[in-house]
Amino acid sequence: MKSYSQISGEIGEFSDLPFWKKADTVDLAYVTYGLLIVTLVVLSYFLGSFNLLPHDPQDLDLELMMAGPGTAGHLLGTDFMGRDMLSRLIVGIQAYFLPGLLAITISLLFGTLLGVLAGYHGGRSETVITYFTNLVDSFPRLVLILLVIAAFKPDIYVIMIVVGITNIPVVASLIKGKIQFLKQKNFIEADTALGLPTRTIILKHILWHNCRSLLIIQATLGMGEAILMETSLSYLGFGVQEPTPSWGNMVQSGANYFMKGQFWPSTAPALAILFTILGFHLLGDGLNNILEGRRGK
Amino acid sequence: MKLSAIRPIALVLSREMAITLLLLLGVSFVVFIILYLSPGDPFSALLEGQLSSGESPSGAHEVLGVPPSWYARYLSWLANLLQGNFGTSIRTGMPVLGEVLRVGINTLILTLGSMLVTLLIAVPIALYSVVRGINKISWPLTMFAYVVSALPVFWLGYIVIYFFTHKLGLFPLAFGYATTSTKFGWLYALLPIFVLGVGNGTISEVIRSLRDEMGRVMAEDYIRTARAKGASVWKHSFKEGLLIPVTEIVAAKIPFILGGAVIVEQVFNWPGMGRMAWQAAQDRDYPVIMGIAILAAVFVRLGSLFQSVVYVAVNPRASKE
Repeated sequence: MKSYSQISGEIGEFSDLPFWKKADTVDLAYVTYGLLIVTLVVLSYFLGSFNLLPHDPQDLDLELMMAGPGTAGHLLGTDFMGRDMLSRLIVGIQAYFLPGLLAITISLLFGTLLGVLAGYHGGRSETVITYFTNLVDSFPRLVLILLVIAAFKPDIYVIMIVVGITNIPVVASLIKGKIQFLKQKNFIEADTALGLPTRTIILKHILWHNCRSLLIIQATLGMGEAILMETSLSYLGFGVQEPTPSWGNMVQSGANYFMKGQFWPSTAPALAILFTILGFHLLGDGLNNILEGRRGK
Repeated sequence: MKLSAIRPIALVLSREMAITLLLLLGVSFVVFIILYLSPGDPFSALLEGQLSSGESPSGAHEVLGVPPSWYARYLSWLANLLQGNFGTSIRTGMPVLGEVLRVGINTLILTLGSMLVTLLIAVPIALYSVVRGINKISWPLTMFAYVVSALPVFWLGYIVIYFFTHKLGLFPLAFGYATTSTKFGWLYALLPIFVLGVGNGTISEVIRSLRDEMGRVMAEDYIRTARAKGASVWKHSFKEGLLIPVTEIVAAKIPFILGGAVIVEQVFNWPGMGRMAWQAAQDRDYPVIMGIAILAAVFVRLGSLFQSVVYVAVNPRASKE
């Protein structure tokens, strides 16, 4: 069984077909939806940072509170203080976008470093890294972050450094596994026999040619994690504070009205969270199936 | 069970126990370092206003019997931990360990219950899609799992509270009180357990990993042989294809479910560790959050200890690895 799949995999790697022709329709649909969401998020981030908004997100309109979606002038309605929902949702992206990128950068950078150490050199460094992985995995992430909050009262960037650190083990173990797989194929041995410097082997042949897609996938999944973390924390009241909008604190502040049957003020940001995280997850999984050939037929 | 079957388990158990203890030592060190690095240790709060700025408070440390170096401080702190002295809460003045253990049992009920809910949803979907492949039924189910995993658990909590408690009145509107005041108060526990089980964000991962593992096992030669000679495929694939993957994924997801418990306890006012952690983070009550972090790590480690025991019990060869 094993040897067959290996052979077909190698043929797949060298076939001339572009990857989108080999892919499942389902995976392409996932990726399309994911890319759509990523584009929307990035676009909205820039709209928010250049203040190109339909309304001022802090502008109170006490005549028009709790308007539903589709109200004239307010596409997504208004919240309990008459503030424009769409503008607040767009500005809410500021709360997680850059911090999320920071978390991704940390986990990818250090995860790659540790993964290469463990996979390429093996031996004692592998033991140390396994121990570190188990140590990080011992803490429920949210509890660890609450501990850091209690100790430092940090801003969101420091929290995202912690999120990034807790993601390091996943990246490290994936990179390690990939390198060990490559070693089995005598691929690295051949490189060494050719007299290539270690730097070229690791940076070009291992990381660039073989781990590129893996890192992209981890980046999208990491962004999903970061959004989940930021919204959870600002829901709990630890992140961005009112009146600055964040999706989490928007859900929280709309909650009182939820029990009175006025769902929209907390449902709109909740749906934004849902569709965005779903987008990042589907993008990651779809890319994983397409680029790494994970979906078994 | 025969003695020969127990020996490998005992061997692995002792090895895993040693690893667990080592990791818990590491956990205590990480917690200590975070608190050690935090600005404004309890002493500066104690001495606030009594020292001119820049004056070293080291004299006060000596008078109070605090070791000057960080490692001596770590060791004395660790010795206290090992004697069960986790310090006293800054907010309530109660000893931390007793308080955390008292609410820890509620969190244990919540997490174990919701794990069961997750498995009750995930295992049938995974089994179905392994046996039948991707078709008109398993495809929407998988999609549903994706959507559910991305749902913000707090919002799911609101919906459930609104419909079941406000609209239908099926469950007592308790927020922690009804557990003692009404006869059916325990029913209230079902809502948060359900919400955490559905909304802890792990369902799609659990399904995917179970489906991959089961798919791999179902393609093995010995399953084909079992099928060919008319033996029960279920019986031959159960251990390798269901028991091991399920314990593995459950052990791996404990930290996520505990993290989700923080939010669900907040939404439902469930008197557990997560709510206490939230309160402690608000008040910067270090001893409490420290105790919770350590206890949570103990939960996680015990889970993975359990997993390796099951793994070896099913597959004694593994003890020689």
